[in-house]
Amino acid sequence: MAVVRKSIAAMTIAEKTAFINALRQFKTASANGRNYNWYIDQHITYFARTTDNISHAHQAPSFLPWHREYLRLLELDLQTVSGNPNIFIPYWDWTGAVSPFTVDFLGSITNGGVSSGNFSPRWGWSMYRSSIQTNTLQRRLGQNASRPTVTTINNVQSYTVYDQAPWNPSVVNSYRNRLEIELHNRVHNYVGGHMATREAPNDPVFWLHHCNIDRLWWIWQSSRGVDTYEPRSGTTNGVIDNFESMRPFGAGRTPSAVRDISFLNYSYA
Amino acid sequence: MTDMKRRDVLRYSAAGAVTAATATLAGTEALAGPDRSDMPADRRTDRDKKADPWDPRDFDELYKGRRIRGRHLLGSLLRGQDELFVGNRKLALTTISTLFFPADGSAPYVATGYISAINHYDPVEIDDNRRRDGLKRLGRKIVDILGDCELGEESARTHHH
Ligand SMILES: [Cu+2]
Repeated sequence: MAVVRKSIAAMTIAEKTAFINALRQFKTASANGRNYNWYIDQHITYFARTTDNISHAHQAPSFLPWHREYLRLLELDLQTVSGNPNIFIPYWDWTGAVSPFTVDFLGSITNGGVSSGNFSPRWGWSMYRSSIQTNTLQRRLGQNASRPTVTTINNVQSYTVYDQAPWNPSVVNSYRNRLEIELHNRVHNYVGGHMATREAPNDPVFWLHHCNIDRLWWIWQSSRGVDTYEPRSGTTNGVIDNFESMRPFGAGRTPSAVRDISFLNYSYA
Repeated sequence: MTDMKRRDVLRYSAAGAVTAATATLAGTEALAGPDRSDMPADRRTDRDKKADPWDPRDFDELYKGRRIRGRHLLGSLLRGQDELFVGNRKLALTTISTLFFPADGSAPYVATGYISAINHYDPVEIDDNRRRDGLKRLGRKIVDILGDCELGEESARTHHH
């Protein structure tokens, strides 16, 4: 069902509780043939170039549509597993005063292992394929980076070209690359711990962070054009073009297919 | 040279001619270098066993009470195969060409950076000049991210970008 994705600042206690409980439930139960750890597997697999020599999820044009589809699927699975069609992925506006790291939401420990409270092992949250040897979620807020400022965000949003050759992390004049490095990477590093790693979806804040990235892209699309993905044709080697399917999402799940969120059962408030 | 390493060379070298030359060089495993056979076995890396040439930037130090060791392979084209150990575990490294944004707000520039499972979104710059100590800075950054924890098994798994 169509949901409105709200800011964490606008969520009620009941909405927060429903969201975190659905995540916990999805750690041990499957929905639609997937479970929570499936998402961590996909993130690890598609961070790298796969055997088709394509970079699907990161450091490439499809970074934004890939994560849009990834979030859409998780939202659907959380609704299914909880039996609550109103569950939505909230977004975390990093420039705002409201933190997701609170006792009643994602847990309040931000300088080491989340050893008690929400998302601690005792609460029912364990690490999967961790490159840090621990079963406890790690966070080191602010140790390695600071949050992006409104000025930085506005500057990124002002880039008019979606992406261009060589379609990788070295493109200077590219909205996608600026958003990916200056905002997306930076917040992964700001949270630190598991969010800094390849298996970042171990931290539930991953979804709130990527929801904000997706929202910024949608705001950008609303002013620059919904159908602005590059590259357009299928001749570009090693990257997903507008009409190429993104793995692992299956046939037809192309950047073009996810370009308009009004067809994806969610909107932003 | 394994297939995987050969693919890396192909991917990261700019010109085919350079690739061929590098591949030949990397295939020459018995280059002269310091004999490290007297080192305790747990301190020796695969490279020591092959007696590769010593790189003055190689290091073995304690940082915040944690042992970090770094070995530089055969120059800039094979940086993705440089080795970093934290404690007794090896961290798989990948190099990417990426934009760097200086902290002082000056213009971004393109350079090579190491990423790994641990610093996946935070490349550490490496070159032969101003940033030639990149591997050591990476080692220290990894210790900072790990805190009290050790590297996990997943951290040694390689991947390609
Ligand atoms: Cu991310």
